[in-house]
Formats: sequence, C-alpha cells, structure tokens
Amino acid sequence: MMLLSILVGVSAILLIIFLRSNKSINLVSLLHALYYAGLSIYQMYAGSLPQYYLENKYFFIDSLGIYELLIASVIFFLSILYLEGYIKSLVEHEELNPKFVKLFYICMNLLLMSVAFSFFSNNLALFWIFLELTTIFSAILIVILNAVENIYAALKYLFIASTCMLFSFVGLILLYAFTKHNFGAGTLNWSELMSSASLITPRIAAYSFMFIFIGFGAKAAIAPFHTWVPHAHSKAPSAVSAILSAVILNVGIYGIIRTFAVVRQTSSGQIASNMLIIFGFFTLGIASLSMLQQKNVKKLIAFSSIEHMGTILIAIGLATKASVFWVLIYIMASALAKSLLFLCAGIANRQYMSNDIDSVRNFIKLQPLASVGIIVGVLAISGLPPFALFMPKLLVLIQISKFSVLMLIIALLSILISTGSFALFFTKFFSSVDEASSIHKYNTPAKMKASIIILIILLALLGIFLPDRLADIAGNIVAELKI
Amino acid sequence: MNELLIYSVLNILAVILISPFFMGVIKKIKAWCQGREGQPLLQQYYNLIKLLRKESVVSSTSSWITRATPYVNVAALITAALFVPVLFVPSGSTLFGNLILMLYLLALAKFFMALAGLDAGSTFGGMGSSREMAFSAILEPVIIIIFLALAFMFKTPNLFEIFRQASAVGILYAKPLLILLMVSLFIVLIAETSRVPVDNPETHLELTMIHEGMVLEQSGKYLGMMELSHAMKQTLLMAVLINILVPIGFSTALSFYSIAISFAAFMAKGTALAAVIGIFESSIAKLRLFRLPVMFMVAFFLAFLTIILEVYG
Amino acid sequence: MMPPLALPEINKILLVLILFLAVLIITVKDLLFLNFLYRIQSFFIVLVSLALYAPDRKTSLLAVASITLLSKVIIIPSIIKNAQNKLKIKRDVEFHYLTPISSILVSIAVFFAVYLSFSRLITELPDKTFLITGSLSVSLMFMGMIIIFTRQQTITNIIGFLTIENGVLLFSLFMAELPLIVEVLILLDLVMLIVLASLLAFGIDSNIEEFHKKLQPLSKFLGGQK
Repeated sequence: MMLLSILVGVSAILLIIFLRSNKSINLVSLLHALYYAGLSIYQMYAGSLPQYYLENKYFFIDSLGIYELLIASVIFFLSILYLEGYIKSLVEHEELNPKFVKLFYICMNLLLMSVAFSFFSNNLALFWIFLELTTIFSAILIVILNAVENIYAALKYLFIASTCMLFSFVGLILLYAFTKHNFGAGTLNWSELMSSASLITPRIAAYSFMFIFIGFGAKAAIAPFHTWVPHAHSKAPSAVSAILSAVILNVGIYGIIRTFAVVRQTSSGQIASNMLIIFGFFTLGIASLSMLQQKNVKKLIAFSSIEHMGTILIAIGLATKASVFWVLIYIMASALAKSLLFLCAGIANRQYMSNDIDSVRNFIKLQPLASVGIIVGVLAISGLPPFALFMPKLLVLIQISKFSVLMLIIALLSILISTGSFALFFTKFFSSVDEASSIHKYNTPAKMKASIIILIILLALLGIFLPDRLADIAGNIVAELKI
Repeated sequence: MNELLIYSVLNILAVILISPFFMGVIKKIKAWCQGREGQPLLQQYYNLIKLLRKESVVSSTSSWITRATPYVNVAALITAALFVPVLFVPSGSTLFGNLILMLYLLALAKFFMALAGLDAGSTFGGMGSSREMAFSAILEPVIIIIFLALAFMFKTPNLFEIFRQASAVGILYAKPLLILLMVSLFIVLIAETSRVPVDNPETHLELTMIHEGMVLEQSGKYLGMMELSHAMKQTLLMAVLINILVPIGFSTALSFYSIAISFAAFMAKGTALAAVIGIFESSIAKLRLFRLPVMFMVAFFLAFLTIILEVYG
Repeated sequence: MMPPLALPEINKILLVLILFLAVLIITVKDLLFLNFLYRIQSFFIVLVSLALYAPDRKTSLLAVASITLLSKVIIIPSIIKNAQNKLKIKRDVEFHYLTPISSILVSIAVFFAVYLSFSRLITELPDKTFLITGSLSVSLMFMGMIIIFTRQQTITNIIGFLTIENGVLLFSLFMAELPLIVEVLILLDLVMLIVLASLLAFGIDSNIEEFHKKLQPLSKFLGGQK
C-alpha cells in the first residue's frame, strides 16, 4: 500500500511534468487528492486497522492516521479544485509567473504526499522528517508569488518552524536514548512506545515531551511560536492558506496527540496535561485579543485558526474520553470552516486585488455566493447551530466546565471576543456600499464556486448528523490512544 | 623547620634576583620586534641599582601614604613570594601557600599604589588610579574565579600542594582542561602586569596609561622599589603559569643539584614565556579602553566553564 | 598516543571552544568571518566525533564524522559563501546588538540555566558525564536561537540556525546514535532547507525579477515551461 501511494504520487508528478495544459495538470492533482480520500474511506469501511508495512514497521495505518488523512485529503481536493481558476486569475494579473505554474502544482503534490506519509509513519523520527518536508514545500508555495513580502513571510515561516523542529529533535533523541537504556533496544516506533510506555522513566518522558512540544507546537500554531502564522497565511495564495490552516496545523496537532498519548501513560502525564492546558489558554487569549484590531481578512482568519488550535490543545490536555472524542470532531469541523473562510477570502482577494478591508466595496452585490460562504463560515466557526462545529464546541466547553469554572469563563470570554471581532469586521466588510463605484465584477469560475458550495453543504450536513462510521472511528481512536 | 627556612630565603632571593631579568627579556624581544637593537639584558639591574641609590623627592602636598606605599608594596610582594615556590616545594608544610591570601597580598599592594597615585593630587596620578580601580573591579572577580577553578581542579587551595601535584608526571594528560585555565591565566598575567592590549608600559604621557600614571609622582629610591615590586608580581604570576603547565625540572625535594637544575629550568622556561609575552605584546594593538572588559570576560568564561566541568563533569 | 582516559576531557575542551565560537558568532559583524567561524565550529564537531570514535571504533561514528566533514565543513559553508558573494553584502550591522560582554554573560547564564534544569535528571542518567555534554549542546542550541532573535540579516539567521543544528548533532553524538539512515535523511532535509533559505535571502536583497530568474533553474529542473 505504501508502494502504491508512492507510485501514485510519482506518476502524478511525472504526468504534471509532461502534460502541457493547466487544466490537465489540475486534473491530475485532483485525482491524486482523490486517491488519498478514496484510500482513507476504503480503509475506514473495509480495512482492518491498524495495519503495518515494511518489516521493521516503519509505516502503519491506524484509526487516527486514517481519520486525519481523510480530513486532509478532502481539504486538498477542494483547494485544488479551487486552484485552477485562482491560478488563472493570478497569472492574468501578473502576480504569478506562468513559468511557475508547474512548479506550483508539483510542490502541491509533494506537499500532499508528505502530509499523507507523515500520517502513515509509525516512527517519530520519520514523522519528524515528513513534517519538516511539509514546511519546505509549503514555504515554496508561499514564495512563488511575485512579491517581496511573500519572501519575508516564507523566511519567517521557515526559520521559526525549523528552529523549533530542531528542539523537538532533541526531545526525540532523549526519548530514543532512554528507551535504549530502559528497553534494551532504542525505539521511536509509535506502536512500541504505546505498548511499553510505562517502562519510560517518567522524568525523561516529561523532558522529552517538553522539547517535542516546542517543535510540533510551532507547526500547530501554538503561542508563543505562532508568529509565523498570520504572515504566512495572509501572504499565501488563498487555496494554499486554506491548506496551511486546515491541514498543516493539524499535522502538528496530530504529533502532539500521539506523543501526549505516550507520555500520559507514565506518571508524568499530569505535567504534560497541565502544560497543554496552560499553553492552550495562552494561545486562546493571545489569538482572540489579536483579532480585535485586524484590518486584513486573511490575518483575521489566521488568528481565528490559532484560537481554535488553543481550544483543541486545552481539550486534549483535559484528556478525558469525551474531550478527546469531541476534539477529533472539532478538528474536522474547524478544518472545514477555516478552509471555507479562506476560499471565500480568496474570492474577495481576486475581486479587489487586496486583503485589506478598506478596499472592499459592494461585496454582496458583486459576489453573492462568496458572501453566503463567508456568512456560513463565520457562523460555523463561531460554533453556532446548525453547523458542524456547534456540537463539538459545546461539548468541549462542557468538559472544560467540569474541570474548572474559572477556565470555562476565560474560554468563553475569549470565544466571545473572537466572535465579536468577526462580527465587527464583517459588518464593516458587508456594509461598505458605494453605488458610484465602478469596480468590475470578478467572474468567479464554476470550479471555485463548486468547492465553496461543497464546503457549505459539508458543514451543514455534518452539523445535522454525524455518520456512524466517523463516530466509530473517533471512538476507536480514543481507545487506541488509551485515554 | 630548617627546610622551611632555607626555602623562604632561597625563594625570596630567587624572585627578587630573577624578576628584573624577565623584564629585560621582554623589553629586548619587543625591541627586536620593532627592529631595534634594544637595551642590554641586564639594563634593568643597572636601573634599579641606580634608582635605589638616589634620593627621593616627594611632593610637599603629599601625605605619609606616598612615603609608605613603596615599603608596603615591597613588603607585600616579598610575603607573596613566600607563597609561590619557584625552585622547590618544601615537604609537608602548610604554613604558606594559601591562594586566597596570596591574591589579597597582591591586591593590598595594588590598593596602596592607587592611593599613592591620588595622594599627590596630580591629574595623571588620579586618572591612573581611577582607571586601575575601575578595571580591578572587573578583573579581581575574574582572578578569583580562575584561582578557584585551579583550587577545584587540584582539590586544594594550597599552592604548594598544587605545584606538588602538578609536578607529578602527565598532569596535562590527566587534566587537559588545565589548558583552558592557563589561557585565562595568561590573560590575567597580561592585564595585571599592565601590558599592551590593556596598558602601555613604555610611555608616561599617553592618555591610555594606567600603571605608569600611578607611579608618576614617585622618584629615586621609592620609584626603584615600586618597579621592583612590579617586576616581582610579574614573576610570581609567571611562576604559577609555568609550574602548572610545564613542571619539567621542578624540584620537590631539597638538595643542591636538584635546586640547581630547577633554577636553570625555571630560568629557561621563564625566558621562553617572557619571549612569548614580548611577541604577544608586539603583535597586538592597544585595545580601546571600553573594549578591555571583553578580554577579561573571555578569561572569566573559560574559568567559569572549567569550574563547572571540573566540579560536576 | 594519549592514554584513553584523557579523551573525554579533550572532548570537554572542544565543547567549551564550540560554545565560545557561538559567543563570537553572536557578536561578529563581518559576514565572511562569520561563515569561517561556522566552518571551524563544525570542524570541532568532527573532531569530537573522532574522539568518540577512538575508544570503541564504532563505524557509525566514523560515518557521522565524515558526513559532517563533507556537508558542514565543506558544502554548506561554500553554498553560503557563494550566496554572499552574489549578494555583495560584507557586513551585518543592522541588528539588535548584543555587545561582546553581554553575549558572554548571556551565554554563561544560558549554560547555567540549562545545566540546572538538566541536573534534575541526574538520578536517571546512565552516564554522569552526559549531564555536562548534554547541557553544553543544548545551550549551544539556545545560543543559536539568540542569534536568530537578535540579528536581522538572513545569512546570519541561517548561520544561527546551523548553530542550533550543530547543537542537535552534538546532543545526538553524546546521547545515542540514531539509525544511520535517519541521520542521512535529516541531513538531506537540512541541506534542502539551507539552499531554499539562501535562495530566499537572495530574493530579499535583489529585485524580484532577478530572484525569479534565479528560481528558474529550479523550475526547469522540475520540468517547468520555457
């Protein structure tokens, strides 16, 4: 299966190299994303999980990996669907050199592959490598536009993410050395670590978790390592922003969940829990306060995704069965909502050639579908019914309230601030009407519209009912993680 | 007791007699580096003898401090000379050799020198004193840390014991970390003896001078005593460096031959070190006053890490 | 031949010197000299791994030494030097300047803090000398982070990043060798990162057309349209 995935990836890239028209290149990438979506759905329904690949079990598929892969591949699919029209407009306005379209798609496919393989890897060191690869490829996707600010954003991203990742590598080495010391043979295999976690010296577990958390936390946009997020998200092409916030941040969270599940089984579990909760609240507070003053649509959404990462971290830190179950649903719902918002913001960007709120005029009239998308996205991301994020957010908050009322108040306050700033921002956004303005309407291509419509439908559907199989999988994950 | 007495006499005499020679060597090397012939090697002795014969003229505004300082200096340095064996270590004595006391004797001499610089009320003296004290405030802790590191390394604060251990074969093999410490010690040696990157011993009238400013008011016999104590201080610090780093030939027993060999070895090693100092001085430019603490901090860095590595490593 | 007893001690000296080079890297302004310092630092790491190799003759250590020599002493510095020559920037002056004294003091403080936090591990450690070597290498990482925070030039930041990376390498040398294949992969990853970062550094300091011209070979390599 790993072989098949590699084969599919390589042939997709080769096809892109040899194909001429942008349409067919896009189609190949779409199929590539579809392959992973199909694979994960197939494994969910038909496969017996977990499965191991290669003799030394470097790769595996288990419920958590397959669940995350499903989310990632859906987002990739929709973003690539959206990308064709977006790239065309970028090229028309000379924001993207036509020579780089191929490079763009190749990096996109490589990014997809490295994300998928990071979910497949059953080894912390391998996971680390793939996570680092996602940084490299997404940085190329950011830098490819014709603007100096993009280079700054990409450099900031590269430096912060990889510096922090090096710290997490220290944590890996520490863990490896002590498993060597305690188990007899050094291992970074997740399944082995999970099954014999109680053998790890608790203090070492705490130390290595601390180091590992720095790196994965930086990838997951946890404050204070979040500073790259607003720049990278606002400067990247919108489809890439959607992938960055809905997929790449999740890969970081995925790593944190895995290592936390290992550390939790030692007696240092409480320290790790407290650490996650403290960092979660810190992130939540910083992000919601930074949202208030934003003038830039994409920066606003970026800070909102940081805020969600904070909530997710708190819920993981609580480490009850219910909180972990609902946090998984939360991850899926927030990924959909964030990518919807970014894709709609991308249409606004094409309309006004700017992300700044001051340039917006007559948005509802010019882009009715994107307006609906933004409204749905804001409602969904604020956790209002009937959208997908409502239930998980409510239940996560209930879990928090069981833990401490003070924490609930702080969390509610931050959510209030962020929802308020969304409301403030988009009231201004929609109400800036100028009858006299002569802005030409940007004709949104059908494929871009299609991906937005699909996202709206998905958000609404998942809000109304959660497929049994997804719930089963989430339940399996909780069991697998031994929460 | 008898051995200790012989040691005391021999050691003090040796330090007093050798010191001007090393001064002369450094001057000669520097002269060569500048392409000059230079003074004869023994010129320092002639200077000292001439100065000591002369009458001292003391400013009428100065107090007893100016007159007392040369005596205090020479006395402090002679006492300190008891603490640093240059020829041999008497067996089983712990009367002398405490590192801390040795350092404080040097500090006492420095303190009186600074007071004397202020005493006459001349501008240069005051400037020299204030600079000397300002640097001492940074340098003194560094010196203490370095010698503490030395004490930690040999597990004793007694210089006699340290030298005895160092003269055992292969000290550098067993404790290579000493090299770092010796680098710091070299920096201190340069700073304490007012050599080029820190001070300029050649001139009297440059604005950069520190040490020479303080002794500007002294003359005749007093000046001779000040110069002698300065040279002795240099010899003592050099002896610490030499006897730890290259203890070859250093004697731990009292006999005529071994002391003769030890003396010859010390002269040779000291001359070599003096040559190194001379070359170092000629090859480097005077540092700006505010950059000087950097040099001391390097010494501090090395010594501090050595302590941690040695104590906890 | 030295008695084997002294080898760990020599490693300690090398570690102190490596840390001292990091102190210099924080304060030095001349970019070429900075690159040279990095080269020396990496060379010391090669020496450390050779000193570790000498007693038990593990081939993996020899492999690490030779890979490090090849990549960090030769290839990466010359990539950076190349970028510097193209950029025509000789000095890095616009940064939040840590004076030499404060950088020395900061480095001592960092080392001490790391050491204290690591010393809580002492009961767990199989080998007590690791306490010193481990905290020295982790403090080297923090020094690299200070370089990244206090200095603005991209090239300097890259060197700061590489310093952190050296710290990681030292840590892994003393703590445990990972499987060699993983090490090689990581190294490849880093080389890609450095190439990308120096390309981007070029992008910042030249105008955008030149930068894209520069990017073109990459695109051609990946099959971009002419």
